[in-house]
Amino acid sequence: MMKPGRNLAALLGATTAISLLAGGIARAEGEEVILRLAPSHYDAMAENFNPYNLQVNASLVQDFAYLPLWIYNVHDPKHDFPALAQSFEVAPDLLSVTYHLRPGLKWSDGTPLTAKDVKFTFDYAVAHPDFPIGLDYQNAETGTGNITGAEVVDDLTVRFTLKNPDSLAHYGIGVTMPLPEHIWKDVANPNQFENKTPVGSGPWTEVKDYSRSAFKLCRNANFYGNAENRIDCLQFPQFATNEQVIAAFTSGELDWAGDGLTDPEQTFTALSPDNKYWLPPDADVDLMLNTTRAPFNNLAFRKAVSVAIDRDTLIKISTFGLTTPTRYPVGTGDAYASWLNEKVLAPYKDLLDYDPDRARQILDGAGFVDADGDGWRDNPDGSPLEFGINVPSDWTDWANAVATISENLQDVGVHATMNGMNEGAWFDAIPGGDFDAFIMYTSLDPTPLITYKSMFNPATMVPGKIRELSVHQMRMPAIEAELARAAATVNPTVQQDAVTNIHKLVAENLPVISLFANPQWYEYSTRHFDGWVTEGNVTMRPNLWVGTHERVMHALQLVPKAATP
Amino acid sequence: MRMLLRRLGFYLAAFAIAVVLNFFIPRLMPGDPLTRLMAVFKGKLTQSQLDGLRHAYGYDGGLGTQFWVYIRNLAHLDFGVSSMTYPAPTSDLLFYAAGWTLFLVGIATALSFGIGILMGIYSAWHRGGWFDAVFTPVNVMFTSFTPAVVALILYYGLALKWQAFPVGRAESNGVTVGLSMAYVRDVAWHAVLPVLSIVLVNYGSWHLGMRNSIINLLNEDFVILARAKGLDDRRIRNRYVARNAMLPQVASLALSFGYVLGGALITEVVFNYPGLGKFSLSAIEARDYSFISGQMLLLTASVLIANLISDVVNVILDPRLRSRSHS
Repeated sequence: MMKPGRNLAALLGATTAISLLAGGIARAEGEEVILRLAPSHYDAMAENFNPYNLQVNASLVQDFAYLPLWIYNVHDPKHDFPALAQSFEVAPDLLSVTYHLRPGLKWSDGTPLTAKDVKFTFDYAVAHPDFPIGLDYQNAETGTGNITGAEVVDDLTVRFTLKNPDSLAHYGIGVTMPLPEHIWKDVANPNQFENKTPVGSGPWTEVKDYSRSAFKLCRNANFYGNAENRIDCLQFPQFATNEQVIAAFTSGELDWAGDGLTDPEQTFTALSPDNKYWLPPDADVDLMLNTTRAPFNNLAFRKAVSVAIDRDTLIKISTFGLTTPTRYPVGTGDAYASWLNEKVLAPYKDLLDYDPDRARQILDGAGFVDADGDGWRDNPDGSPLEFGINVPSDWTDWANAVATISENLQDVGVHATMNGMNEGAWFDAIPGGDFDAFIMYTSLDPTPLITYKSMFNPATMVPGKIRELSVHQMRMPAIEAELARAAATVNPTVQQDAVTNIHKLVAENLPVISLFANPQWYEYSTRHFDGWVTEGNVTMRPNLWVGTHERVMHALQLVPKAATP
Repeated sequence: MRMLLRRLGFYLAAFAIAVVLNFFIPRLMPGDPLTRLMAVFKGKLTQSQLDGLRHAYGYDGGLGTQFWVYIRNLAHLDFGVSSMTYPAPTSDLLFYAAGWTLFLVGIATALSFGIGILMGIYSAWHRGGWFDAVFTPVNVMFTSFTPAVVALILYYGLALKWQAFPVGRAESNGVTVGLSMAYVRDVAWHAVLPVLSIVLVNYGSWHLGMRNSIINLLNEDFVILARAKGLDDRRIRNRYVARNAMLPQVASLALSFGYVLGGALITEVVFNYPGLGKFSLSAIEARDYSFISGQMLLLTASVLIANLISDVVNVILDPRLRSRSHS
């Protein structure tokens, strides 16, 4: 979702072939090694390093200054990264998860980091429900949540107890970034706490040179892996537009970013031989029809819509060639490639093939014919068929995609139109349920089971409480049962089997119509550092956004280029 | 005096209306401050977290309650809490940005005025000469340029391509802030292109205004009399004509300064300059009601004050206004 308003380059367009002023910047021996990164655009930096403040740049300290217990390797689930915990186990009855901390952990101020801090963080989350620590604790009043408590077994061992057996609960617990009890116990209102001198657990915790336009996080002398940390400081310079990010890369002032770039070959890599990018698939984008209404509650209609869409054009033209195809009609995509059972899914592959004739046939067969002679197909009961697809007008690539989809549907006689609106109005329309269709993102989680849980959670299909991923509102008890089965075992074979069954159920019933996968935006420079995740050397998700906890491991694997004399 | 009091009453009423409008207009836009968070977190925020944040930002009560809180806060010169920089108070960012905008647009306005007026006087005095023949049309041309195009050309040419100037910001990262020569030089260096991009599209209108008002004065009786008295040319130009021609220009200069706090949106966005224009744009995108209201209030206040000053100056300079108020 690119914001065109910020894309000033488009105004001057291709005429700006910017010549390269080359010349590597030599680093003198003994000088600080600084990694410069821009995970997000900011108009100004705020002096706020509260890891759970979602608004300002505070979330930049997540992972880097506040490590999670465990870092899931979404790209390669068999090779997770132990972080503060060196291991964890789910109890055989699935009613608890136990974490074993690394021995000798210390906070950056030297205070020992123990199981008590982890328990404190849980209790703190319960005591401050409006502070988004993100733990799914049990709430007696609303009946939601599953974690009933955290108990200290010994200094290095902490056990989370659950109300209902759930083998997946650890995915929500492991990503928690513990807070130091000796600091936060005195913080009464955490949302208003600016945490100006962070005491953290990660490799870089010391704030230096703060200004409205940049700050540094420097080495934590008490980090357990300090001996292997080759980077002295992370610098977060402030940038507000793509152009500024590109300029900084090109002049060697930036090493790593996550910008959405149009035409990166021309606007980015052409400017410096060190400017590199790779766009692996992120979560899928789906067309979600409101299945509580006719004709969207008709499977044949949804099938016809799916084969009427020209996904090749969506990818190559509408989304500027920056998205990747989805191979199977399962609502999620190749970001979960290791979970796809190609044999089982092969029969459904053709539902993603562009075939307007087949769409016409299906529609004819299901009774969607032009009854009143106005040139558009009508519902089988003769009522006129016309609908709009909601899209935020300034999310250019999506707006283009919806325009293409509408044309594709009009080609087969279905009167679909683009319903462009302001981003705020688009979000506002979701909860109430009064709409025909949405183009919608999905999420990328440690396992597709969690994504499907969000997509098929009946609690988020009630008008007034509808959430983004479930705007299709199609209750699928069979999928709920598979999710429950997967949550009732730690056996990976059973979980894989459940995912395969869910894939099959989605492909057969098309509650959502798969379109394409968004890219993970990932730009990096080889001018000062080697060791980047590349297409040929994929060890983890490479992108830098908040929520990609792997980013701290990525930073730790970078190797500064040798100082040139 | 009575006239000034009447004006003052009018301005106070206008300010009161603006205070009310500034509260309601931002809230009429679709969406709310949480929209942006939803876009960033793509379905990962729970309802209770969203409710908690709405409460934290102070947007959970009814509109009436929120309005009274807003009025009560304003009475204590408190602009509330900005959702963009939560939990920092809105005034932090507002006054930080106002400082840079005053510096940038203030200098640019002063320069445009100075350059334009001098060129206007010269070309009017020597109208038809080579200076007038070249610069009057050229300056008209510059005036009609779109600020965006000028700013982008300067940015791509001088900052990106030739790297002769910094590509953005008001100061270098890591520079020590203080009254040192190094800091002044750094800030000045960063201001060159942004100031230039504003001056280029603005000085021409001062040139034209000044030139026209001088030409209108040249046939006035007092100029003819001065010439008849045999006063020398420079004295007539500077003492008699230019001073009179300046009056309307000074009045519009006062108004221009009133609008300085509107910021230079395009320039600030292109050059990543930390001024009110850039932050206001983001505030509107983020539906940061408190920042939008605060910025509009600053702008309203400065325009009204500038108007008031211009009224006072007019009364002092123009005896006719004074006599009317006595009658």
